[in-house]
Amino acid sequence: MSTQVSQTKAGQTLPAGFEDLERFAAVWSLASERERNRQRLSSSMSEIQELYDALLTRMDQIIEYLNQLPLDNMPEEARRLLYLSLSLAEVAPAVEFYKQPEVVDGFPADRFLPVEVPNMSPAEG
Amino acid sequence: MATNGDRWTLNYSELGTGPVPTRPYLSKEYFELEREKIFKHTWLNVGRVEEIPEPGSYFVRDIAVCNASILVVRGKDGKIRGFHNVCRHRATKLVWHEQGCESKFSCNYHGWTYAQDGRLIGVPEEDMFFDLDKRQYGLLPVATDVWEGFIFINLEPAPKESLKEYLGELDELLAGYPFGELPVCFRFDADLKCNWKVIVDSQQEGYHAKMLHRRSLPGFLTNRENPSRHALDIQVYKRHRMISYFGNLERTPTPTEALAHRFGASVTKREFSMENMPPGVNPTRSNKWAFDEYVIFPNFHVLVFFGMCITHNVWPIDVDRAVWEARVYLPRAENAAQVFSREYGRCMLRDAWLEDGSTLEASQLGLASGMIDHFVLQDQELLVRHNYKVLEDYVNA
Repeated sequence: MSTQVSQTKAGQTLPAGFEDLERFAAVWSLASERERNRQRLSSSMSEIQELYDALLTRMDQIIEYLNQLPLDNMPEEARRLLYLSLSLAEVAPAVEFYKQPEVVDGFPADRFLPVEVPNMSPAEG
Repeated sequence: MATNGDRWTLNYSELGTGPVPTRPYLSKEYFELEREKIFKHTWLNVGRVEEIPEPGSYFVRDIAVCNASILVVRGKDGKIRGFHNVCRHRATKLVWHEQGCESKFSCNYHGWTYAQDGRLIGVPEEDMFFDLDKRQYGLLPVATDVWEGFIFINLEPAPKESLKEYLGELDELLAGYPFGELPVCFRFDADLKCNWKVIVDSQQEGYHAKMLHRRSLPGFLTNRENPSRHALDIQVYKRHRMISYFGNLERTPTPTEALAHRFGASVTKREFSMENMPPGVNPTRSNKWAFDEYVIFPNFHVLVFFGMCITHNVWPIDVDRAVWEARVYLPRAENAAQVFSREYGRCMLRDAWLEDGSTLEASQLGLASGMIDHFVLQDQELLVRHNYKVLEDYVNA
């Protein structure tokens, strides 16, 4: 089982220049695939679309900023921005393939479980 | 290339073109034969060497179909050994954690203690036993070998074939692929109410891609030039088999996929280099190549892409229950851009596999009706046909 847990702490912020994404980070800046997937499945399509539209146009700036920072020692604010950006990867299939949060006619995601592989699971979520 | 009018199946007259019986997917008796004649006698992949990097690193693999629990551990000498995970004293399961790193293993029941190489090194109140010779009571070894970083076990006490002999042609075809450069792994497991071969079959043909994956992978393996997803190559060997899949270069990526392609490698990106690749990778050396799928009998699939590998291990539990273990192996990400590309691939693949997942239990439900006694298979389902032949060879041996 994935053991990574994220807590969105009150008072956390995104790096300067990304304040406009703060309202999304409060919901979508989640450290693990499972948390991001659960958030997708419990959101409405309009909430997902709003996140998708907001992030897609900012991804070049986000990645340009984050790429300057070491992955293994990223400041907390930057890590929060990284996790937010990964939620775009999570919701992309909902918007681009399925037009609904769940996989159309899909097997239940909560029966297709991430399992940690010792010494091989990525550190970055 | 196919020679008989571009029908691969006709290259293998011993397989025929007739219907394939469904009894092996339904019969409890057949399942017992598979248990006794296949799974207890074949080399089974249980993990990768990177999972146990240090002396004392171990994992436990419970193999339900063989009623076996296997402890795989790296010794002080660096060698990887497999043991029956059973205390020699009162037969209790020795290691209860799934993974870890230990200098020695103590049974939680009475405290018999074993070294990393299986020797019995400690027995509480040893003098209360009667002529106990500790040298005779080490952990029972399981034949264990490593091929290209994949750890295999074989439950035959003295396997008739080495792992390399068992893999046959596959060794020459794939040895040298840079599996060791893919140290990051995602794994998903699903416990499914279906026969194990329903899962194996779902991952050994491309016929389903155009329909089942029409939303997630539109045009992934097909275009106007190749409307029926004809494979670049299909080969069946004595037990194992492979398909080399055509990749569509004309596909327009979705907006997020385009980002993922720009930021790093991704599963649907069609750029590759064949430098230093062994002959079994893109064997036709096509410039329209997607990936190759090698199915290692009975339950292990290795899919080699450029810069990425996927494996499936399918673990029978009962005639109508099995666990599907899907893994994706990737390079270590060096920056945030590559983390994003990787995450796109993970989410896209996971969702495509959820599409596969629904068909698996649905197929078993249909089979259980008893109304379908044979499958009709087309040419691109040759590997499903071959699997039946190999099964029959084993269970009738």
